[in-house]
Amino acid sequence: MTRRIPLILVLVLGIFGAVAFMIPHPAVRGVDEVMRNDVIRIITAFSLVLGVGSIIRHHLIKVRRKAEHWPFSYVTLIALAVSAIIGLFGGIDPDSPGILFRAGGVGRFLSNFHMQTLYENIMVPLAATMFSLLAFFMASAAYRAFRARNFEATLLLIAAFILMLGAVPLGRMLIKPLPAFAEWILTVPNTAAKRGIMFGVGLGTIATSLKIILGIERGWLGGGGK
Amino acid sequence: MKFWEKLLSIDRRWIYVVIWVVVMIPLLMPFEIKPRAMPPVQMLFDYVDSMPEDKALVISIDYTPDTEPELHPMAISLLRHAFATKRKVGILAVATVMSVGLGESALRQVTEEFNSRATTREDSIIYGEDVVYWGWTTPFITVLLGMGERITNVFPVDYYGNRTDTLPIMRVLKNYDDMGIVVSIAGSSVPLSWVNYAHTQFGVHMGCGITAVSAADFYPYLNSGQFTGMLAGMKGAAEYEQLVSEKMVELGYDWSLPRKGTEAMSSQTAAHIAIMAFILIGNIAFFVTRRRKQ
Amino acid sequence: MNIANPLTVEGAWVWVAAVLTLAVFSFLYRENPFYRFAEHLFVGVANGYAITFYFHRVLVPYLIQPVGHGEKLWLIAIAMIGALYFTRFIPKISWLVRIPIAVVLGYSSGAYIPRAIDAQIIQQLRATIVTRASFANTGAGPGWQLGIWAVIIAVGVIATVAYFFFSAEQKGILKPVSRVGIVFIMVGFGASFGYTVMARISLFIGRLQFLLGDWLGLLN
Repeated sequence: MTRRIPLILVLVLGIFGAVAFMIPHPAVRGVDEVMRNDVIRIITAFSLVLGVGSIIRHHLIKVRRKAEHWPFSYVTLIALAVSAIIGLFGGIDPDSPGILFRAGGVGRFLSNFHMQTLYENIMVPLAATMFSLLAFFMASAAYRAFRARNFEATLLLIAAFILMLGAVPLGRMLIKPLPAFAEWILTVPNTAAKRGIMFGVGLGTIATSLKIILGIERGWLGGGGK
Repeated sequence: MKFWEKLLSIDRRWIYVVIWVVVMIPLLMPFEIKPRAMPPVQMLFDYVDSMPEDKALVISIDYTPDTEPELHPMAISLLRHAFATKRKVGILAVATVMSVGLGESALRQVTEEFNSRATTREDSIIYGEDVVYWGWTTPFITVLLGMGERITNVFPVDYYGNRTDTLPIMRVLKNYDDMGIVVSIAGSSVPLSWVNYAHTQFGVHMGCGITAVSAADFYPYLNSGQFTGMLAGMKGAAEYEQLVSEKMVELGYDWSLPRKGTEAMSSQTAAHIAIMAFILIGNIAFFVTRRRKQ
Repeated sequence: MNIANPLTVEGAWVWVAAVLTLAVFSFLYRENPFYRFAEHLFVGVANGYAITFYFHRVLVPYLIQPVGHGEKLWLIAIAMIGALYFTRFIPKISWLVRIPIAVVLGYSSGAYIPRAIDAQIIQQLRATIVTRASFANTGAGPGWQLGIWAVIIAVGVIATVAYFFFSAEQKGILKPVSRVGIVFIMVGFGASFGYTVMARISLFIGRLQFLLGDWLGLLN
């Protein structure tokens, strides 16, 4: 029962989701719109609980067990709580502040910590910088690991060199038709290869979706229960 | 022999130092570069430029802060293009809630650029009349399919909390039929979801701005016509910036606005040369040491 | 040098962003407490940001406000289904979390199938098939040239698919076709790698533009 009910739900809603695309009748379209606009939207909003709850639980366990680097878990928990309070009670639009920023002088001071300000000065720099580290790791990998050991690897590296040179103005200065040739590589052989791969991936994804609807693929149920 | 072995076992932090210096110096001492638009960029520019006047440009901010340096210049350029050519603009974020602040940042910057120089109402950008930022909602299937029917059902309030059915622009921007093109700027495969749902079911024209990592994977969709045009990575951003800059000068907006994509191209060139040098040196050292061992 | 003024609100925030940026970059030397602090701070603020928007832009306009005005009271039942996500943390009834997952997963999977078949299979097949129209003169170039490229694409697609065909042994006609396929695949991956280099470097350039421009005021 604990597995049968969810499997029946997936089957019914899966068939409805697929069939609604093909039936233009207003009644079907109306139900489809309600499903999307109200049902799926509200349920998806609650899914945040899983993510946030898991993070809080993970860090609380780290603190309790005094696991490695446990003091930093306080940073996450405090930052989460403070930013959530600022966002929930301070609002989203700086021009329409929430109750947190309307409390006289204290409110005016706190408005310097508006959600958009935190986003632009904490989240954006941190996320962008973390990903920019990849430039260095890639350079190190290029030096240590990219070897033209065989014909296929050599072909890959030659294509990469042509693209790298063709992507910058230097390529045009060295060999005038190089950017056009690089564009041709992307437009013809690359398109062919990626399309071939896409057919496989596309058919695989469609097959997996079908298997989920029909209850053949049950990994999403997780363990436990019959 | 020892030289090549030492070269192969060099501390990786020296490689990091080289990359840092090679990227930093051209930023401090840039050389003039005029990007030349490749066909996918030119196609997108031409389409946006020649859309019927009653059709809006819709920009979907589907990228997150980690890909901001590559993709934010695209959003800025598209907004400048639309505002300079007096197009109505709708902006939204579909992929993830982390994108929504970047849309507000781009809109604020470009609106300020135009309004600080405007002398008449015609030159000004009025929120709610010329542009609307719908913000974000979840899940994306609700947005992509719902916008084909009525946008105000999908976004009853905009990013700022205004009721969308009270905004004048929403009288002429009701659904996909009122859009000339939707340009999804993304660091992931979200533009493909736009193609799967919005283009397939409603036939709306699609363009995309994507990171260079994904660019090669999107060419089949460009080839099949499912994408009308494409901006690939910082290079694509720089090329579009150049086209928009020339168009703005043509229209009398000779403002010399900052162009982050173009400014980066000198460093990009130097870094590419460095990476190619690393690969060559690494391979030479590898083959020399391997031959000696044999 | 026109360094950001830390005594103004705007300048102080630029300094905060710059210090956090350098804290993350310090990882390049070796892992250290500053990097760890920045990493944990990001996770906390990102989640707080998500909570803000999920509440203000989804739950309030689509659930709390309609129900508060006495409209769409059936949404309460939907909210109760959504609330079943909380049972994930109660071991005895954690199986109930499968219900909201089933609703979203089922509908999304069903909606995906017909659209993906059209967009990813049929449209792409149509673009691969070589017809007389493939040799038509367009703005992209002379017709004969475009036709040859279309033939190469068709050959490449067939060869690539042949390479990934594992249901039969790769011998006979399949072997040389697969070899052609691997050539196309390697060129495609090389193209991806070349552009990946550009992507990664671009991200670093963006951060340096911030440090040297917005923070230190060294860029024009």
